[in-house]
Amino acid sequence: MNVVECFRLLTSRMRNEIVVTSAGNCSELWWEITRETERVFYLDASMSLASMFAAGIALGTNRNVVALSGDGAFCMNPGMLMVERALALPNLKHFVLSNRCYGSTNELPLRFVEHADYAAMARAAGVERVYGFATVEGLGQALDEILDVPGHVFAVLDVEPLGRHLPSPPLDGPELKFRFGRYLERVVGRAIFDAPL
Amino acid sequence: MDKHADSDAVAAAIADAAADCGISLVASLPDGWITPLIERFDTDGRFRHVPVNREESAIGLCSGAFFSGVGALALMGASGFLTCIYAITKINYTYQIPLLIGITLRGRPGDRAKFHQSNGLYLEPVMRAIDIPFVAIERRADIARLSPAFRHSRVMARPVVVGFTREVLYGEA
Repeated sequence: MNVVECFRLLTSRMRNEIVVTSAGNCSELWWEITRETERVFYLDASMSLASMFAAGIALGTNRNVVALSGDGAFCMNPGMLMVERALALPNLKHFVLSNRCYGSTNELPLRFVEHADYAAMARAAGVERVYGFATVEGLGQALDEILDVPGHVFAVLDVEPLGRHLPSPPLDGPELKFRFGRYLERVVGRAIFDAPL
Repeated sequence: MDKHADSDAVAAAIADAAADCGISLVASLPDGWITPLIERFDTDGRFRHVPVNREESAIGLCSGAFFSGVGALALMGASGFLTCIYAITKINYTYQIPLLIGITLRGRPGDRAKFHQSNGLYLEPVMRAIDIPFVAIERRADIARLSPAFRHSRVMARPVVVGFTREVLYGEA
């Protein structure tokens, strides 16, 4: 599916979710479309840990926490699936954007993908709710179920490479931390920065 | 007391110190020296213990947990810590996210494992190279330093490492 159309759908339907985006196209596209600076943590400095970071956030809220990883990041740490399965957090929804390349580094091909089946890997790790989508229509039909039915989800989004370069979100690390954290303090009601030391 | 009983008593003291300073989430990967401690965290109702697949996952999980208002400890061996430089410098340094990291001080004199001697050579120089504050727990009385180490990570908004010697963990110091 077209990756921009895919992200337009995700950004339009994920209105109440807390979102963590991995380095590369996931962060770039979410920023390009939404310009959001509060409920999204652009984990642009790191590959492969978006779902673990999101899981840590999900421990403290009933809200859905969505992790968006690229497949380059996923391949760096597929063992994350076993931790996600063990945690079984009902509000953790992990989407892997499979464009079969390193999107933000000139779309250099990801060489393992012709033999790898990420959804099958998730099932083999014991994840019960695993989805795979190759069309925007198919994703759109299942998205309410993914988001509204409690339970850990792993979903693979089969997309075409973007084909152009996008800028990273122009936010410094501490600015992002405080915007995101203050948002969570407001909507979740837990002290983060103001916890007594 | 046999050695195992000593280790269990030390593990209980470390768990008490962790709970007292507000830690309720522990993510770990084993090192032989800290298996009693990991078992303690796993069975102690004051903690949610998450065994992870690799040490970097502990850094990711505990860093995210900061935004839950949850006090967290990433517990691992020295070798595992050395695999985390990327995660620490990219996540915790870039975004200034505090985190307490507990490690074993492998490779010091007294560690008979030849395959850990590289840690004796490079562990502390690597920590100095990335300017990460380091608190050594070398005697049982030092376990009380966990709390100021945790608080320091919050105050400076950076990770802090506490390193346990074999002698402390085995109840010999």
